[in-house]
Amino acid sequence: MMAHVTGVGWVTGAGTGTGKNRHDSHPTTGQLPRITRDLILDETYLHFGRMDDLSRLGLAAIGFALKDAGLAGWTEPRDIGIIAVSAWGCLQTDMDYYETVMPDGGRRASPSLFSYTLPNTFLGEAAVCFGLTGTGYVINEVSPSGLAGLLACLESISCDEIKTMLCGACDLECPAGIPRKSGHFPGAVFFVLEKVPQSNPSPYGHLHLDKCGAISFNGKRIQTLVQLAHACRVPIPQ
Amino acid sequence: MKNDEEMRSAPPQAWIVRLATVTPLGGTVHELWDNLMAGETAIGPVSRFSTGSYQSDVAACIPDLAPMDGKSRIHDLINRLMAAIGPVPPDACLITATTKAGIDNLERIRRGGPADPRDILLSSLPETIGRGFGLTDPGINISASCASGAIALARGAAMIASGLKDAVLVCCADLVTEFVFSGFSSLGALSPGPCMPFDRRRRGMSLGEGAAALLLMGPHRARKEARPALARVLGWGASNDAAHITAPAKDGAGLARAVNLALTRAHLHPDQISAICAHGTGTIHNDAMELVAFGNVFGKRRFPLFSVKGAIGHSLGASGGIEAALGAKVLSTHTAPSTVGFRKPETGAEGRVHTHPVRFSGDYLLSTNSGFGGINAALVLGKGDPQ
Repeated sequence: MMAHVTGVGWVTGAGTGTGKNRHDSHPTTGQLPRITRDLILDETYLHFGRMDDLSRLGLAAIGFALKDAGLAGWTEPRDIGIIAVSAWGCLQTDMDYYETVMPDGGRRASPSLFSYTLPNTFLGEAAVCFGLTGTGYVINEVSPSGLAGLLACLESISCDEIKTMLCGACDLECPAGIPRKSGHFPGAVFFVLEKVPQSNPSPYGHLHLDKCGAISFNGKRIQTLVQLAHACRVPIPQ
Repeated sequence: MKNDEEMRSAPPQAWIVRLATVTPLGGTVHELWDNLMAGETAIGPVSRFSTGSYQSDVAACIPDLAPMDGKSRIHDLINRLMAAIGPVPPDACLITATTKAGIDNLERIRRGGPADPRDILLSSLPETIGRGFGLTDPGINISASCASGAIALARGAAMIASGLKDAVLVCCADLVTEFVFSGFSSLGALSPGPCMPFDRRRRGMSLGEGAAALLLMGPHRARKEARPALARVLGWGASNDAAHITAPAKDGAGLARAVNLALTRAHLHPDQISAICAHGTGTIHNDAMELVAFGNVFGKRRFPLFSVKGAIGHSLGASGGIEAALGAKVLSTHTAPSTVGFRKPETGAEGRVHTHPVRFSGDYLLSTNSGFGGINAALVLGKGDPQ
């Protein structure tokens, strides 16, 4: 079972970028850059202003990954799905929303904030923004590696459910008062996985899922999504 | 793991070999079924929090569900669910589905009460259940708004179909909380009275709470352990409307695509579907969208179409699991329950949605859910072994 990695995009404390730029995609504890509309979108895309920070972060990394894969432009919706892992999801938005519920017996509860109190809302924003009509959900892992999403994407591609998937991780800083999980950093990274490369003639390499569920990239076993991000930065021997 | 060719050609099968539900209409599937057959509803006045400022004052709550020692009500719900399904093989892979887990503890924390903040994390659900059953797999939670339960089942079935796993436990749970109630009220999505799915006078949804557990197994292992199939998960599909983050696409194209994917995966023609357990929330837009989508896939063919949300409310991430568990009962009895709250059919519901239970022939049920973020999910269930 194989799929090609044809695009990589990220937003971390170290900056923003795509695989081709070879910027440092390593997650750090540094503050995430401010995501502005002109970073990823046409300025006529009006929905950006209403989005919560998680949606802006995810949308940016997804946009970079699609651009890297040569799939940013579109006129008709595409059968592309997204699976993302997230530790805290929209918890900060949950807290912000509940602050609007507490005063005045809930009369001032914010409908616009409530719309973002589901971790998968940002996938919906990405679907609207980039015309993605495939499946889309968020996975919350107990043992964080990021690979649960990658496994699901590879299975879907393998059984011909879909030919192109976006797979990644997306998290804001852990909100105050919430137990922090080790190994989690704020930021987002997304990979474009394709059964057959469409627009990028030079994929980063291929992913393989073996009979035991182990995932390798260009023949080397990977155990976390961060490892995959690093591996994509290594030029493929010709 | 099966090779690519095997996965494409063989009709996938994951058997549901054990199941349990905890709902406002009872702590077992049998109680839920009996109450559904009697046309009962659990939707009533909410006493858990003040509803004075909201659009509605009703929901379907489990009356004695309680928070304990700073823990969320979700623990009480999960404990009941685990007791209901009984022991689970320790090597089973664990997939849970919830939209908000123990979000009631965020309410308590913000109001200054004692509460465990870990319950707010969605990963707390697989953590709690995995520990409770002594499972070796750490587990994952799937968050896909109101389609979470259906997608969790699809994911479990896919893992079995691919040969990666031969036993997967899927558990779904969500609560009625002020957090969620206030939110849907702020969006104007709540029905002032009990919801009326597919009725032309419907005015919105009624929230509910509940949980479901379904143990999936590959046929080989199930036979080896002498576990009969209560039902079979034969097909699944998911899609995104790519139109709006909170409103369904009016053309129903996304849901129709998910249904067609599920039918293709099950190697079935639309004419072979005997009944539909629809999402049927009772909102103007959801129900209209579903009827359009079903019309696009099934034409004008009349077959039983029902929603259980007028009886047990909309339990969000748990609804897909509860509805699949009920689906096993629907198929084994060849009976579609009435749609409680329904009286005057919306266009497209005529002759399909009923005010009383309806017998049908055939062995395949379609179950659908849609939710925020534009997500749609469809499951095709097949009849199990004779009991």
